[in-house]
Amino acid sequence: MTGHRTLSELASPNNGYSYAFLDEYAKRELRRKTLKAIAIPGYQVPYASRELPIARGWGTGGLQATLSLVGPEDNVKVIDQGADDSVNAANLRRFIFRVSACHTTTDTLAATIVQSRHRVPEEIMGEHQILVLQVPDPEPLRGVESDIGKSREMHGDGEYGLLWLGLYEQLVRYRRVTIGASYPALVHGRYVMSPSPIPRWDVPKLHMAQHLTILSAGREKRLYVVPPYTSVKPLEFDDVPFRIENQRGWTCRISGGSNKFMSEIPLQSGGAEHEISDTSYREKLVADVKRVDGTECAGVPYYDNETGHFYIGGFLKDEEL
Amino acid sequence: MKNSEPDPNSTAEDVIPATVIEEKPVLKAVGLAKRYGKNVVAVNNVDITAYRGEVLGIVGESGSGKSTILRMLNLEEQPDTGSYELDGIYAGDLFKLDRSEQRAIRVFHIGIVYQNPHIGLRMNNTSSGNVAERLIVAGVRNYSQLRQAAETSFRASEFPLDRMDDPPLALSGGMQQRVQLAKAIALNPKLLLLDEPTTGLDVSVQALVLDTLRRVQRDIGTTMIVVSHDLGVIRMLADRVMVMRHGRVVEQGLADQVLEDPQHAYTQQLVHAKL
Amino acid sequence: MYVAARGGEQAILNAEQLFHSLKSTFNADDVRRVESTMPYLIDKVMGEGSLYAPELAALAILYTGGDLYESVLMLRAFRSTQPRIAYAKTLVQDDWLTVRRISAAFKDIPGGQILGPTLDYSHRLLPLEMLDNERDHGPISSTLPVQMIRNSELLTRQASLPAVADWQRAEGLLPELPFSASSVSPDSLPDVTREPMHIPADRAVRLQLLGRADTGGILSLGYANMRGYGTVHPTVNELRLGYADVTITHPVSGEPFSIGRVRLSQAEIVTTFKGAAEKPELALGYCATIGWNEIKCIAGSMLDMAMDLPKPHPSHTEDYVLHHTDPVESSGFCIHYKLPHYVTFGSDLDAMRAVTAAGDYLKTTGASVPLGTPGSFSENAPNGAAKSGKELS
Repeated sequence: MTGHRTLSELASPNNGYSYAFLDEYAKRELRRKTLKAIAIPGYQVPYASRELPIARGWGTGGLQATLSLVGPEDNVKVIDQGADDSVNAANLRRFIFRVSACHTTTDTLAATIVQSRHRVPEEIMGEHQILVLQVPDPEPLRGVESDIGKSREMHGDGEYGLLWLGLYEQLVRYRRVTIGASYPALVHGRYVMSPSPIPRWDVPKLHMAQHLTILSAGREKRLYVVPPYTSVKPLEFDDVPFRIENQRGWTCRISGGSNKFMSEIPLQSGGAEHEISDTSYREKLVADVKRVDGTECAGVPYYDNETGHFYIGGFLKDEEL
Repeated sequence: MKNSEPDPNSTAEDVIPATVIEEKPVLKAVGLAKRYGKNVVAVNNVDITAYRGEVLGIVGESGSGKSTILRMLNLEEQPDTGSYELDGIYAGDLFKLDRSEQRAIRVFHIGIVYQNPHIGLRMNNTSSGNVAERLIVAGVRNYSQLRQAAETSFRASEFPLDRMDDPPLALSGGMQQRVQLAKAIALNPKLLLLDEPTTGLDVSVQALVLDTLRRVQRDIGTTMIVVSHDLGVIRMLADRVMVMRHGRVVEQGLADQVLEDPQHAYTQQLVHAKL
Repeated sequence: MYVAARGGEQAILNAEQLFHSLKSTFNADDVRRVESTMPYLIDKVMGEGSLYAPELAALAILYTGGDLYESVLMLRAFRSTQPRIAYAKTLVQDDWLTVRRISAAFKDIPGGQILGPTLDYSHRLLPLEMLDNERDHGPISSTLPVQMIRNSELLTRQASLPAVADWQRAEGLLPELPFSASSVSPDSLPDVTREPMHIPADRAVRLQLLGRADTGGILSLGYANMRGYGTVHPTVNELRLGYADVTITHPVSGEPFSIGRVRLSQAEIVTTFKGAAEKPELALGYCATIGWNEIKCIAGSMLDMAMDLPKPHPSHTEDYVLHHTDPVESSGFCIHYKLPHYVTFGSDLDAMRAVTAAGDYLKTTGASVPLGTPGSFSENAPNGAAKSGKELS
């Protein structure tokens, strides 16, 4: 080549976007931070968190994690509240596909990456799969200490007394633990994490899971991980067991299934009906009913269809109550 | 670190005279000094020893350095120089421990009652939660156990059990001090620190709280250090007394002796002002 | 390739189309016209978008129908895709072409006060006659200011516009700068777009975040400080608007050259008796932005100072200010509440029903104080926890 190259030759072309949107430096940072998070289960690793063409608070943390992992061979499933067809899930799936040309799916078992807001699917995920949870607030101590500098120090010291005091106070006043979603859990016996606003129903699914779970908060710029086969223990007193949502007796009005997490649908006439929130699983149940040869297409669920028991016996002390 | 059980056989009558003279001190602080900025000398080369079951009173006007000393003994504040040992807990200078080790010492072995309950209590939590927190930090993860321990502490501090789940904000000043006391004694501390525990209370309430303090101290046989500008409080609680002025100890001795026959001019002034 | 498509997908496509169909179309000429007629709007969007690209800012404003939070997000998202290929030379004040420079601290200052372009002393009367008139209202050209300056005596004054703070330093009123700008290599500075923020924040991080913060958010917190939630009694030491050439080193020839001229603004405020030193001296707050953003600079410099106080008001701590004034984060989180939350709500409802069904909760507490929020750990307000957490913290 003769002579100097011009600046316009050196600069990137005007209308080009990197593969999977983020530039390679951003992806490299995310991958490094994810590896660090895997090495320190439950520890919140700060990351730069780039702005994406999706509003902050709409899954940009999960999206960055997914974009740093996705390749053309991946099969990506995106759910919001358990549903593949929610507008937000559809939008994120459309975006991931648009910038990465990956495959997309609604089938939990077929997916290599499942990005989710507020739910863990009902079918047991395997070692080849990654669950990416979108996190609005990664800090389980926020309610008792709003200053991030101080709460990081409390994590460092393993100083979680105020969380337990919170449980104690709830028990004094309400005789029950009153936490709904985002139930804090101790990871690998060291760091307390917020499991993201999944229902209590889903927290045990992260315990000793075969799959890797990445929890990423774009707005708050923190990501943390539950590696495969890692203990995740919801905070509970010895004599007051952690309880999942009580949906005993609820039947899905679409599939007829039970013992899966359900959404309550209020009726104009009063009362309510219920639907299984995991739409993909629900559709499989419907398909099962219709199938003539008797084969099942749904995978093995975390909670038994008949008894409702969690697949790891004894983990939920509350089960016999 | 294991918490030492109180000796069930000890009573006020047999403990005090025997221990003061012969035993190794429970608390030994040497050469405490603390400056604020360039000019304010809060504490100037103060030595403190206290024996098992003994009540040491520290008197002096505001600014004499007595509260600074209490904060140091509670490991809330590091001195510029000086060392601090608690016998049987850790063989070495407590000031040299790191933040979380000091915290552990504080939780397991030191109880404190502040003049201002807002410093010592979470005012919007339940009173029982305030006591339970100490046990939680010490590792208790059983709800019934927390309730029972809270009840035991409240009984000891003569706090009505039917109000133990009220928040301190809804309680009277005297009651708030009893909650602080219940929290302070929840793990049978080796050392109990009282910072003007009855200042600001009505006289009649003061007397009741002082009664409780004296009884609790006898029952659990803990070493107690009480800081006050009120000689009446010191006279009622203390076996031995240290008089402080401008960050220095000007006189010390048995409480009866010092208060009946003060030697230092400043102490004489204090005693006479009181009379 | 299997693509999962559902009903929701068509709905969002339709919604976006409807949004655009309810406003007029625009073309490249309109983009240039927005850029030239509304430089202050462009500067606000570029400042918060932390990307100096007037043309792209104008495009974003038109594309979003003037929704500024959306415009800022578009600029930021575009910025995310751009690798950092060079570091510009540090811009020092002497390199600026200053067009406005005022100080409230002194009647006159070395180099003189320069009122420059401002609406400060205009009568804010809507020029209603414009509505019936075909004539243009004044000249409209993005290149005009520079030409105007070239023809004015301002150019000859540029060489002697020293910072007011320099005079104060020479007089011993302000502490000396810890180091000179030329001693700092630009690539050694942290970059908030590439690295996570930590509290306490590096000062460079703080100033970068203030510079790209939400104008309204900075104004709101800064105004609270000015009004009395805080003890800073500030004086505007110097407010400066100007142009400057951004210089980089040519990657091949190694020669420095200008890659373009930008608008810049900065404010410095001072106050007495707030310095860290034992001797009473002035303390300084600072804020700078790309583009001309006077209000943000003034309010931001007050917050910069407030954050340095030993015990700032809770709403003026570094943690509070820096976490709550990002336009993309705050607006995004606000609109995220439009998303379905029925799983979390169902879970919360379950916890509440369990309590009411059992009916054995504490019905009275003998207290007239609120009992805190069920469903979370926020039993005591964070501030209360911090205040009373002394003993066990």
